[in-house]
Amino acid sequence: MAGSRGDERAWIRGAQSGSVPDLEALFRHHWPRAYRAAYLVVHDSAAAEDIAQEAFLAAVRGLDRFDRRRPFGPWLHRIVVNRAIDWSRSRALRRESGDAWLGLVAAPAPPDGEHAQTLAAALADLSPEHRAVIVMRHLLEYTPGEIAEALGLPRGTVNSRLRRGLDELADLLDEDLQ
Amino acid sequence: MRRWDAPAPDERVAGDRSWEVVREAYEERIRVPRKRDWRPVAIVAVAAAVVAAAVTPPGHAVLGSLRDAVRGERNASPALVSLPTPHSRLLVKSAAGTWVVQSDGSKRLLRGYHDASWSPHGIYIAAVRGHELRALEPNGAVHWSIGRKGTIRAPRWSFDGFRIAYFAGPTLRVINGDGTQDRVLTRDARAGVSAWQPASHVLAYVNAAGNIVVRDADRPTRLAVIRTRLAPRQLQWTTNGRLLVAVGSHTIGIFAPRGPQLRRIDTGAATIAASSVSPDGKSVAFIEAGPDQSSLQITGTGAGPTREIFKGVGIFSNVVWSPDGRVLLLDWSSARQWLFIHSVPVKRIAAVSNIRANFGKEPSLMGWCCP
Repeated sequence: MAGSRGDERAWIRGAQSGSVPDLEALFRHHWPRAYRAAYLVVHDSAAAEDIAQEAFLAAVRGLDRFDRRRPFGPWLHRIVVNRAIDWSRSRALRRESGDAWLGLVAAPAPPDGEHAQTLAAALADLSPEHRAVIVMRHLLEYTPGEIAEALGLPRGTVNSRLRRGLDELADLLDEDLQ
Repeated sequence: MRRWDAPAPDERVAGDRSWEVVREAYEERIRVPRKRDWRPVAIVAVAAAVVAAAVTPPGHAVLGSLRDAVRGERNASPALVSLPTPHSRLLVKSAAGTWVVQSDGSKRLLRGYHDASWSPHGIYIAAVRGHELRALEPNGAVHWSIGRKGTIRAPRWSFDGFRIAYFAGPTLRVINGDGTQDRVLTRDARAGVSAWQPASHVLAYVNAAGNIVVRDADRPTRLAVIRTRLAPRQLQWTTNGRLLVAVGSHTIGIFAPRGPQLRRIDTGAATIAASSVSPDGKSVAFIEAGPDQSSLQITGTGAGPTREIFKGVGIFSNVVWSPDGRVLLLDWSSARQWLFIHSVPVKRIAAVSNIRANFGKEPSLMGWCCP
């Protein structure tokens, strides 16, 4: 799956005309980054699955109106990251406890790789807002201007959140941050 | 900062599951015609029936039947003092919450809980309070809870207690028995109807088109779509998992685990109000509700005639088997009575009256547990 811009336009066109394989190609291409972005903000794999899934469902619902000239990824990621921030904010209000009663279920798989585990753990200590801008900048590779537009924030706010978030990460990680 | 390029936990399997959900939503984009609102017609019909009952001879006869319907069995015990099956427990829904009834007749109200169901061995209960699904002990101690958008209903435990299926708004979700890994199984499901196949994590449910879908909750693939016109309102597996009993408004269909239909029981104009598969999987008890009386019937899951066990005027609203299969508990709601109908060694009926006084407003049976 090459995943070029031309491929994406063809998949969207196919999906708009009823092609399941084209929709699946679009889904498979965008799922990993959508899911990772959600996971790195919410730090809960079940919630990340819900958030990324709901973003794709929103895409399916809006498919007929989608402008094929526009890239699909930024639109999807804006939904994912905004929902992930909302979920993280509301988590404190949602009483949820998970003590290991019955000893029924195996522990969820940890992130793959030492670097990933360390980074995920450090990100979890940041606020959802800081997590979101760092994930958008360094995982999804958007510019601060694009992040500001996606999150509905002034560009200066994005820059300051990035700086503060990275400073906090620097304190938490034993590696150089660039 | 190095770019994050490692997969997140569960990324692949979550993607496979989600693709199934997205594909279903994509295929369901064709809109279903909006149903006609029959409420104004029903209101007029009810008003006409009330007038007829008041002024005509047949109407007087109906009123006499209504008196019988609220009288129920004579010589009924005024209170539930014990259950006929030792070490068993009942769940009873009421307007105030869910009651847990022990075999010695003692009971505890779990205030504010509804849609409760037993874990496989009756140690825990899954129940709904507000917008939360909770797992709790019969004494009310909450082990975990999870909040979800939309109306939560019909939690059901898998045979081993490792999974709970439940509905949240229009979605069918599955959560692990310890409250972790909550996920959407499908958005293409009719709310409230699901059943776990014993000895597996295979779940049967009814999709929006009215067909029965059988799928493994741990894998993103459907095992079978059983096409049927039954429009099932209830699904139940036999204990050995070899038969799936689907109950519609006027028909009971008995299916092989992945289809086809092996047996069909039609009740004609009578509506099937409730049903229950016996613990040995050989029989189905069901309630036929006619215009002025109800009857309790039993038929075999494999073959055999349908026999009437009990008939009465008014409304029977539910029937459940005791865990040992020796007693049927019939909720004669219009008479506010429960009937314990013993089938072994001889048919004997023990009635308990004042059910509303025992449990408060709107009492109804939820489940009888456990083997």
